Amino acid sequence: MTRRIGVVLLIWAAVVAACVGQILRTPFTADLSAFLPAEPDAQQRVLIEQLQSGLPARTLLIGIEGGDATARAQASRALAKGLRSSGLFEQVQNGESESFDTIGSWLFDNRYALSPAVGAQRFTVAGLQDAIGETVSLLGTPAGNAVKPILERDPTGETVRIAEALIPSNSPRSEEGVWASRQGQRALLVAINKAPGADLDAQLLAIQRVRDTFAGLGSKGLTLQVSGAPVFGVESRAQIQDEVRQLAIAGTILMSALLLLAFASVPALLVALLPVATGVLVGVATVSLVFGSVHGITLGFGTTLIGEAVDYAFYYLIQARAHGAPHWVRHGWPTIRLGLLTSVCGFAALVFSGFPGLQQLGVFSLAGLIAAALFTRFVMPQILPQGARSSRMRLAMGQGAAHAVAWLPRLRWPLLALGVAAAGLLLVQRDSLWSAQLSSLSPIKQEALDLDASLRADLSAGDARTLAVVQGNDLQTTLQRAEAAGRLLDGLVDQGRIGGYDSVARWLPSLAVQQARISSLPQAEPLRQALAEATQAGPLDAGRLQPFVDEVQAARGRPPVTLAALRETGLSPLIDALLLQRKDGSWVALLPLQPVPGQAATPETAALLQVLQPIPQVQVLEIGAELTRMYAHYLQQAQTQALLGALGVVALMAFTLRSVRRLLSVCQPLLLAVLLTMGLMALFDVQLGILHLVGLLLVVAVGSNYALFFDMLRRDPAAADVDTLASLVLANLTTVLSFALIAMSGIPALSAIGRVVAIGCFLALLLAAAFAPRARAD
Amino acid sequence: MTTGVKTPRSDRPGWLATGLLLLGLAAPAWALDLATVTGLLAQRKSGEARFTEERTVSGIDGPLRAAGVLSFEAPNRFSRLTTEPRAESMVVDGNLLVLKRGGRTRQMTLDAIPEVTALIEAVRGTLTGNAVTLDKHFRIKVEGSTTQWTLTLVPRDERLATQVRELKITGLGGDLRVVELWLAGGDRSVMSIEPLQAMKK
Repeated sequence: MTRRIGVVLLIWAAVVAACVGQILRTPFTADLSAFLPAEPDAQQRVLIEQLQSGLPARTLLIGIEGGDATARAQASRALAKGLRSSGLFEQVQNGESESFDTIGSWLFDNRYALSPAVGAQRFTVAGLQDAIGETVSLLGTPAGNAVKPILERDPTGETVRIAEALIPSNSPRSEEGVWASRQGQRALLVAINKAPGADLDAQLLAIQRVRDTFAGLGSKGLTLQVSGAPVFGVESRAQIQDEVRQLAIAGTILMSALLLLAFASVPALLVALLPVATGVLVGVATVSLVFGSVHGITLGFGTTLIGEAVDYAFYYLIQARAHGAPHWVRHGWPTIRLGLLTSVCGFAALVFSGFPGLQQLGVFSLAGLIAAALFTRFVMPQILPQGARSSRMRLAMGQGAAHAVAWLPRLRWPLLALGVAAAGLLLVQRDSLWSAQLSSLSPIKQEALDLDASLRADLSAGDARTLAVVQGNDLQTTLQRAEAAGRLLDGLVDQGRIGGYDSVARWLPSLAVQQARISSLPQAEPLRQALAEATQAGPLDAGRLQPFVDEVQAARGRPPVTLAALRETGLSPLIDALLLQRKDGSWVALLPLQPVPGQAATPETAALLQVLQPIPQVQVLEIGAELTRMYAHYLQQAQTQALLGALGVVALMAFTLRSVRRLLSVCQPLLLAVLLTMGLMALFDVQLGILHLVGLLLVVAVGSNYALFFDMLRRDPAAADVDTLASLVLANLTTVLSFALIAMSGIPALSAIGRVVAIGCFLALLLAAAFAPRARAD
Repeated sequence: MTTGVKTPRSDRPGWLATGLLLLGLAAPAWALDLATVTGLLAQRKSGEARFTEERTVSGIDGPLRAAGVLSFEAPNRFSRLTTEPRAESMVVDGNLLVLKRGGRTRQMTLDAIPEVTALIEAVRGTLTGNAVTLDKHFRIKVEGSTTQWTLTLVPRDERLATQVRELKITGLGGDLRVVELWLAGGDRSVMSIEPLQAMKK
């Protein structure tokens, strides 16, 4: 016997050590991308790439408020200068145009490869006449001041042609030479972090640098605002970490107090907490092994496991007290095992969902519950073979429970009526019952979202909500498709249906297009002749245009613009926003569409697709709508899985009970508990999301334990002693309290589960007692 | 006949502005002020006119000529359609600027480019008689009488001032007749305006 204790404890210690080892190596994440599909379709894939690693994931939006416009502009310049020299940022923009100088001269040098106007026609007499005429029409106007210094070198206006395509149709307002908000008094900056968006530590460092640099300016009366995806990521993680810690501490204290009251013994208390601790450790380690990282929400959910796993300890400690461990193994354990199996059924449904976030919850619960049950079965009888002694409070609790169990069946009809009313209410409200908002998973506060929205509105540029997406197996194919899409989009700009669009092809035309442009450049002599003829009647003398002839000759020998050359010029941030290479080597070009200034939105996705349809593999992505669509799909999938899980629970019980009557009597309170919980939610206008659904599944899993318990009592009335009833009440109390704690969490995902399960489990016990088959033995 | 009257800065308190306006009205009849001129102009809510433009540019033989139609509708719409020598257009509606040149369309937000805003306001603000907007962007000198007046506008924006030295706008009563633009480099354009139709009052 002693040797057996040693072996069992050794195995347990080894498991715990292995788990701790695994957990210590585990990265913890908090981004919502865990709640994006694991195997996305092509459309979702682009979106997820954008959310996870795209430019928005590492872009900080910064506002400076207070003071007057001059003070804000000074602070904006100083802050931008400080941030640029920090080396942490790829790009810091605040509307100062000076930073455009190097890019400008690069564009000028490469104008014959980049200008869309360059072609054979351009250098005919008529083409030259037209192009020079257009340039001359700018002279003598303020715009002409920019053209005049380069007139002899670029009389056909290729530089102007390139520049006008690059002017964004929606830009922030400029005040004192820097970006400012249209309403209100705010200077605006955008800082793009070098580190990937998923690296929250690096994002935190960058945010801290912004705050420190601003504080270092010592500007009196000015306040700093920082927003953007990195801020949300960092703050969510901090909040989840904080809350999970608080929940764990509060949960442990609460449980300990209850256990102490129930057992009046510190060793019993410690032993009762062991299955829970083991379950949580095994759960986290398993998730870490399977997924490579653990999401904060999964951890938060871990505290909920306390609610169910602690029940096992109760059942053992109390039931073993009466007849000893061996008797419990024969009579008590099978009920727990069945309860465990039903829970496993419920959570297995989550494992098969297509979303890593839900899969994590499922794997965590499965592994945790199984570990806790195994601990109860094999380790507990070794440590405390006699269970735990009774306390006065537990006796009182048991007696109270006995009275309640005797009295509750009188409420059957009122409860049934309530159930029917709830069903009716749900039927009436069925359209507004479910909410497909991804934001319901996010812990971001409304004020933070409002600040973000207002900064984005002020900046307008770089925040296109609609993207045209083209892709190809290699870079050149992708660029050619981007060019084709650009030609179609130009048509929409001319029709005034969109304000403009960005395209990587403006900076990096495909080789084919560049070569066609370069080969269309004439040799010196024919060009000189054509020029002489074209300028005969015009105001510009061909004799002045020798530099033009020379530069065209130079351009003929110039190597084409390449991606590497662009990066050397410092254009990486621009390119990375518009062109991505996937892990499989294929390329994606994003063409963000800008609405007509003053209009809120671009045309409908379907209409855009219609226009772009000649291009193979083209997509139109409307980020907000796509997220909602994805979440709706996700919700639908989760509903199916929850239903399958519930069916699995019922099937398992049917198999074990082998009696339709008993099955019905067990299912009845479960169904009513679910109906009443949903009805209550509907009554308070709480829209149900995926996590409510997970909560309902938990209600079914935990509630089935209660129902089975009463079924067991019917067959074995002798077991219905005060102690056993007390264990049931205690188990319920811990579940309800631990989930009530979670319901108070500031993280919507956790509070959603908490509310549903706290209410649902309390109702489940009440209903299980009310609808318990009567044994007429007590 | 020449009196420069400073108009009130828009950021001064309202009572001060009103006070200065009253002083302006109380001044002798020959002292023309901006409020009087813009008051004349503001009576027109919309209008259309032909323009011809001559630009003198150093290094270019002879003046460059252009012609077309100007139109406006108070308070925010203004367009300049050039028909000769090439078709071009510029349409300003509120904060939206739409340029068409050589068959290409560009749309821009006006307040993103303060220099352009000031230039456009010089014409739109004059046509619609918006003294506050004019004063926000330019230091203004008013000369002449209510029958024939000249506004000389010098940009307040430093960046614009490096490009544009001054604008001289001449009008007859409530009609705009000549807009003369002096660029910093000495280049110059003169736009003469002929009302096309009897403008609506």
